[in-house]
Amino acid sequence: MTINVRPVLAEPGVRLTEVAADRVAAIHRCADVLEELGAVHPAYREAMLDREWAMSTYVGEGVAIPHGLDVSRVLVRRDSLAVLRFPDGVDWDGHQVSVCVAIAARGDGHVALLSALADVLLDPDRARALREAADPAAVVAMLHPVALP
Amino acid sequence: MIRTVLLGGRAGLHLRAASRIADAAGRQPVHVTVRTAQRPAAVPADSVLSLLSLGALCGTELILEAYGPGAATALESLARLLAIDPDVAGA
Repeated sequence: MTINVRPVLAEPGVRLTEVAADRVAAIHRCADVLEELGAVHPAYREAMLDREWAMSTYVGEGVAIPHGLDVSRVLVRRDSLAVLRFPDGVDWDGHQVSVCVAIAARGDGHVALLSALADVLLDPDRARALREAADPAAVVAMLHPVALP
Repeated sequence: MIRTVLLGGRAGLHLRAASRIADAAGRQPVHVTVRTAQRPAAVPADSVLSLLSLGALCGTELILEAYGPGAATALESLARLLAIDPDVAGA
């Protein structure tokens, strides 16, 4: 059974001046923010790390999308997103990541979000605007278009 | 040559599923494209971002297209991958 709920991205979930020494530290920060938002149970952190270990969540254009595993959906309290920008970059298994889109989702609602994110990243100008965003509202507007695909 | 398939993954075409398809498409001798009725612009099947941009949910009809020697086999193997649920053990 899937639950078609779009994960919510709001300004409190956008952090623009993050620092992380490596990929694991970056995922811990992503988990910190999802917990602060009340989106996940604390055990979701480990699921995010396990998922990353199983296969990198790097999607291209300097962006990674850390998230949990299929079995960890019970640890999601509220379908939510967080966007963490790492201005100094984070080495992501050989790729340089400057934005993490952390996902807490119970069903397939985040597929629509991934579609919106992919559209942004496939457009070089919008991809650069996301990587260099200085305003949380702009990030929310970019990733949360009103129209569903 | 055109081949249509219904997406079998219950969780939709998420990152792991898209990565798997893009890897398989990249190993084909022909260029394969995918489109949906909702997004009629065909995108390259070997690009993870392009596959994600489709926003395909379980049951979405995917239209695969390829031409040249090996096209039939390429479409068959990709269609088979798209039809199964990657989140089921053994898939």
